[in-house]
Amino acid sequence: MAMEEKHNQPKNSPIRRREFFKLCGSVVAGGSILAVAGGLAPKLGSKEEDLFWQIDPTVCTQCGRCETHCVLPVSAVKCIHAHRVCGYCDLCGGYYRTNVKELNTAAENLMCPTGAIQRKFVEDPYFEYMIDEELCNGCGKCVKGCSSFGNGSLYLQIKQDLCLNCNECKISTVCPSGAITRVPYATAYKLKE
Amino acid sequence: MRKLKTIATLVGGWGIAQAQNRFPKPDFESGYQYPDLQYAVPNETLWVILDLLLLVALMGIVTWALYKKHTRGPIFWVSLISVGYFGFFREGCVCSIGSIQNIALALVDDSYHLPLTVLLFFLLPILFAFLFGRVFCAGVCPFGALQELVNVKNYRISEAISAALKVIPWLYLIFAVLYAVTRSQFIICQFDPFIGIFRLGGDMGLILFGALLLVMSIFTGRPFCRFLCPYGALLSLFSSVSIWKIKLTRKSCINCELCHNSCPVDAIRPPYANKLKESRSTGVRRLLAYFVVLPVMIIAGALLMRMASPNLSRAHKDVRLYDQVIQHEAQPEEELSLELEAFYGQGRSVEEITALYEAKVTEYRFWCTIAGALMGLVIGLALIRLSVKRSRKQYEINHANCVACGQCFNYCPQNKQMNESHKPSES
Repeated sequence: MAMEEKHNQPKNSPIRRREFFKLCGSVVAGGSILAVAGGLAPKLGSKEEDLFWQIDPTVCTQCGRCETHCVLPVSAVKCIHAHRVCGYCDLCGGYYRTNVKELNTAAENLMCPTGAIQRKFVEDPYFEYMIDEELCNGCGKCVKGCSSFGNGSLYLQIKQDLCLNCNECKISTVCPSGAITRVPYATAYKLKE
Repeated sequence: MRKLKTIATLVGGWGIAQAQNRFPKPDFESGYQYPDLQYAVPNETLWVILDLLLLVALMGIVTWALYKKHTRGPIFWVSLISVGYFGFFREGCVCSIGSIQNIALALVDDSYHLPLTVLLFFLLPILFAFLFGRVFCAGVCPFGALQELVNVKNYRISEAISAALKVIPWLYLIFAVLYAVTRSQFIICQFDPFIGIFRLGGDMGLILFGALLLVMSIFTGRPFCRFLCPYGALLSLFSSVSIWKIKLTRKSCINCELCHNSCPVDAIRPPYANKLKESRSTGVRRLLAYFVVLPVMIIAGALLMRMASPNLSRAHKDVRLYDQVIQHEAQPEEELSLELEAFYGQGRSVEEITALYEAKVTEYRFWCTIAGALMGLVIGLALIRLSVKRSRKQYEINHANCVACGQCFNYCPQNKQMNESHKPSES
């Protein structure tokens, strides 16, 4: 039936011409799919897949935007403590605010706004510091203190179990130092120790 | 005091750049052991494989429902699964709509590493669109599925308004690619209206916009898909030249108009008798005249965007930083912003940022010109399309706009007769 109709159409009928244009369109469309696939295929597989967003602690300037710009209600960026780098000081630049009058655990003396840094006496004169991840909001105030006055054992990292792995990390778009990049599975954390 | 603060931060900044060991490692005498902390890395590969399998499986189900079963039933369930899995469980990333930007960036920038999953998320729906029509839009895309699920009534938007609005996805696509190839921003991801709803939190303005779109989609089908989605624009191209096309009914159309009323995206065109009697040669000449105007629009678009390129380039971080640095160099007493603190803290020089700035502006001038030409082309073609009026004797599906949701199947009386006549023979 359809064939008969086609035969009945004159040689330069608009229907035939439209069919021809459709065919051209199909060829172009199919060709462009193949071209994109073929053009991008060699770029795959050459390297390990960069799946995870991570902060390079050597570049980070602790601007505080990790706390405010993550798409999560509480940022996926948390402070991480490298115990092997820590000096276990009593007067810790990450634990106490600068110029405090009395060195006690009153909230006004402490650097962490959420009280996420827990301190435990080890032996004279050393104190162990631990981060309570539940409380940490990734503001980086302690990191700044530790980097300025201590060994830099406190640093910020994106917790991969919390990170939603956005196509473009919202923090990375506002990060002033460009410390946030995609990293492969093997280096999903850039640990200091 | 302010100066002191600045110096302190600068010292801090330099401190990080160098390895610091201000205090020696303590010698513990009490046998203290360093705590062993492990940081979990989720098995992303597993999820990614599941994502891809589900993507193909769901598109397969939609295709089967459309071509074999002629019914919407399975598509509804696919929509639910998609909203549940891709939307609320996987929380949106990476999606096919956003993958446009990764692909565009990978095409122009060899150093950008494109994961295989992103390529497949981009290509598979396009491949399906080229073969069967927009089966991805039907219910596999969580955005479309969500809007389809809340849709109740189909108020028509006047043709003039919808013709104008349909240019927006193309312009959005062009801007998204422009900002992606210049490594500025992924604007599709940044201004995603539904991601906040899927993640149950996020930017308040965007969530409100998403909620507004959902309220609108109660009254008219899929406002996001029709008037915003850049990936939908891309798919419509492939769908309009697809190899197999969705048919409303296997029997002949009885011109009852029910399918037209049921279509949420206004993709079924009613019969139309072209009353305008003009000779063929006048029509052809008119169309040719339009096509002479088209290059003028392309050139005008290219020039306009080229002129706007210095302003548009502010979307890039380096350009904004350069502006700040220049301003600061002119008035050094002003307080440093976070960007400038990082800039000086890292010990970068003005010459370096100036070189980066100039390279970026040149890059922008080039890409803006191309983007402007494409914008002229899109607007020109949209105008020319308005002048083409074809006669139709029956209700016809406009395959570019059809999102393959299958709403019309259940409304077509010809389909119903077929089902009823089948039933007795089966039992």
